[in-house]
Amino acid sequence: MIKQELVEIMILLNGAERRFYVEPNETLLHVLRERAGLTGAKKGCDMGECGACTVILNGRAVNSCCVFAVQADRGVVETIEGLGTPDQPHPLQQAFMDAGAVQCGFCTPGMIMAAKALLDRVPRPSQEEIRQALSGNLCRCTGYQKIEQAVTLAAEAIAGYSREERERL
Amino acid sequence: MNEYQNRTFQAVNVSVPRLESMEKATGRAKYTDDLRLPNMAYAALVRSPYSRARVLSIDTSEAEKIPGYLGCLLPEEVPGEYFNCSGNPPSPLLMRDELVLTREPKVLGDRIACVAAETEEMARAAANAVRIEYEVLTPYLDIRSALSESAEPLQPHVSSNDNMIQRREVSQGDRAVGEAESDIIVEDHFSTPPMQHVTIELTSCLCDFSDGVHLTVYSTSQTVFQERRLVAEILGVKESNVHFSKPVVGGGFGARQQLHAQHVAALMSKKLGRPVNLSYNREEDLYSVVRHASEVDLRIGASQDGKLRLFDTIYRLNGGPYTTHTPTVVAAAARKLQYKVPNYFFEGLSVYTDHITGGAFRGYGNTQLTFGREILMDRLAQSLDMDPVEFRLLNQVQEGECFPCASIPVSSNNIASCARRCREIQAEIDAKYPLINNEDIRQAWGAAFSCHGSGPSSKEGLSSAVVMLNDDATVQLLVGSSDIGQGSETMESQITAECLGIPLSDVRITAADTKITPYDTGTFGSSQTFICGNAVTRACGDLKKKVLAQLRTIRPESRVEEQGQGYLLDGHPLSFREAAREVMFDAKGGVMIGSGTYKAEACPNPFSVCFVKAEYHKKFNAIRLLDIIQVVDVGTPINRMTVAGQLEGGIAQGVGYALYERLEINPRSRRTLSSDLLHYRIPQMGDMPRTHVDMVDSYDPYGPIGAKSVGELATVPVAPAIVNAVRRACGQEINGLPLCDQFVILPSSWKEARNET
Repeated sequence: MIKQELVEIMILLNGAERRFYVEPNETLLHVLRERAGLTGAKKGCDMGECGACTVILNGRAVNSCCVFAVQADRGVVETIEGLGTPDQPHPLQQAFMDAGAVQCGFCTPGMIMAAKALLDRVPRPSQEEIRQALSGNLCRCTGYQKIEQAVTLAAEAIAGYSREERERL
Repeated sequence: MNEYQNRTFQAVNVSVPRLESMEKATGRAKYTDDLRLPNMAYAALVRSPYSRARVLSIDTSEAEKIPGYLGCLLPEEVPGEYFNCSGNPPSPLLMRDELVLTREPKVLGDRIACVAAETEEMARAAANAVRIEYEVLTPYLDIRSALSESAEPLQPHVSSNDNMIQRREVSQGDRAVGEAESDIIVEDHFSTPPMQHVTIELTSCLCDFSDGVHLTVYSTSQTVFQERRLVAEILGVKESNVHFSKPVVGGGFGARQQLHAQHVAALMSKKLGRPVNLSYNREEDLYSVVRHASEVDLRIGASQDGKLRLFDTIYRLNGGPYTTHTPTVVAAAARKLQYKVPNYFFEGLSVYTDHITGGAFRGYGNTQLTFGREILMDRLAQSLDMDPVEFRLLNQVQEGECFPCASIPVSSNNIASCARRCREIQAEIDAKYPLINNEDIRQAWGAAFSCHGSGPSSKEGLSSAVVMLNDDATVQLLVGSSDIGQGSETMESQITAECLGIPLSDVRITAADTKITPYDTGTFGSSQTFICGNAVTRACGDLKKKVLAQLRTIRPESRVEEQGQGYLLDGHPLSFREAAREVMFDAKGGVMIGSGTYKAEACPNPFSVCFVKAEYHKKFNAIRLLDIIQVVDVGTPINRMTVAGQLEGGIAQGVGYALYERLEINPRSRRTLSSDLLHYRIPQMGDMPRTHVDMVDSYDPYGPIGAKSVGELATVPVAPAIVNAVRRACGQEINGLPLCDQFVILPSSWKEARNET
């Protein structure tokens, strides 16, 4: 193991400018969990196969375990912690709860972030589009039915929002 | 007993979102590997790359040069007593044959040494740098080779001559009579593959044994009290000095009904004087434990009138090299035949091999036997020219009757309604998408029945609950059982709310912490609703009695009686809420704590009927699943949303089991081929067919508020129902899983073939 020079990066993380000193081969997931203390993105495989670490980087859902932190330098990163709180949940978080799409919950943050990237791009997705967008996120508890319903439910809720409300999401 | 029967419920038999769902959906819920303690070190295991070998030498010199290296544990430095890691309560069936660290690895991934470092990456690098010289031995990967004459015994101290862990025979009637009375006997050999649980959360523990006296463990656990007992035994410390606290757990399905590496992490923590995190990567998780592969010989005979006369099976499980659960899995399978058969013969063999260790998995022995059974039942129905569902219903054990070789009669059974409801849903589907039968595609339906128990079938389930009343009539509920994602904490809270007549939001639950909560056998055997639920109803009953007694003390002049969820005071209703206020602060008041213990007196069977619609593509020998229906009798469903979630999730696991899941070891390299989630595929969203689930009205007299179990039941009938649909669509007989061996599998959302608009 060779000792490496740390690299300074800056990320707009959940709306706030954050600076980190990272190893050149350090993943974005590692920075989020170990340096930023954001444990909402989960490590389920560390090789881009389960989707539990999904975050949104510059508008796209990515497996943060497969992105080097340096690639996110000067980028915009959204994680589950930036989405909503129990008191003021994002419609997706509310819908996941209402539809019973949360069981063990380990895949949930990644699912919600993948769904958010989809709804940001396609406000009223078809079933096929939902299945496509969430195909990289594995769940072992739910059988996916209620997750699919939750995304549809959230899309309907957002469609009923005023423009200001939508912009605040 | 039937205080709750025929009553309108307020907090149960409704759909309630999980109490913790928002914590999970906002990313705040803390799982084991999200926890960080000051000065925490990381450990990694040095594991055997061979399925069977002998360690000749271990050289740690290169590992010691890795920056951040802290220390190493070798087999000589850890306790050398044999143990059994199973999270079952003590039983003579659970032979002790496992070591904390071993110089004689008997399975791929066996623990040889443990290395610690300042970071997880450094610990992994150091573990990889440990040089081990092996003498590689020939492994016995399957049951046949392990039982061959020439095979060496893998655990000579348990079985000195062969690799048979245990042979179990359960029978009634007379084989010759069964054969003579049968007009048709169908028989075949069925094989099922080892399946991995693939909890999305990886196995992890954080152990703090820095002072060598008090051990605190946070880990992915289904059975905190059993794990505490085992770790205390292995380390030679008192149980009172061992504290298991369960963080949020990302799935179990049986994989966490055992110790994993908590013992090693605790010993490393003691050695370093620092807290130690030991977390598996996905490859380690995949080869840690599986559902037993099975080889089953099965014969079923029936007379011309459709009545079963003979059921005869030799049921073999590939246990891997350690006993863990194997004999109890076999025992659990022995008495789960839901059909009336006068001549019943079960011979169950638990076999040592060098394949991945077989452990607990949702379905616990029932899955493997039901697989062949329900396929043969389908073939038998065809031979008899009977409707496969009517044939099964004709032979179904009814309420008041006993399963073959079982001693407790079935206490509730509404499987006939399950079948009826399945048919209704089937008719709706067929009306919308009529069955296709043309040159290229043939579609067909298949069915399977199943049952399970509520709690361990050995009736060793034991649970307790404490309800503490606050002065505002809210309550604190303490239970020992673990919510591992299935929703038991919400459900126990609902039972409390129902029993006390208070809103669900007034119940706060604390669960599965050995320092705070009372004992519970563990989250396994579909116990939580029935075993822990009964403890909760008793604790609530106890609390109400104590409040009543206190009310009478406070108001000696009044006539105070219990009525429904509240009280009558001189004929005027007094709600539980109002009573609570009175009893604590009155001059003659007191602290109200209710407690209840339930030791399994029964093990009611929930029932399921599963229908599958599949299609066969003749030109390229491909299959596709279209619809899966599952309707169950689970007694009173405490939380309908949770029950539906269990059914849908159970279906998905059944789909994976049927279609493509198999933990594979390359016979040449003897290393695992299933090293990650691309090489061990579980169903993705697009793989799932449309699922339709429902529950029928039912009430079990032994259940808490009439409830039975659902968790394991949900997955048992799925694979045979899929096979029965496929065999009817393609006309080929199927004797084994996964079906990808025999067919091309098309994803259910495969668009081109969709016939709907």
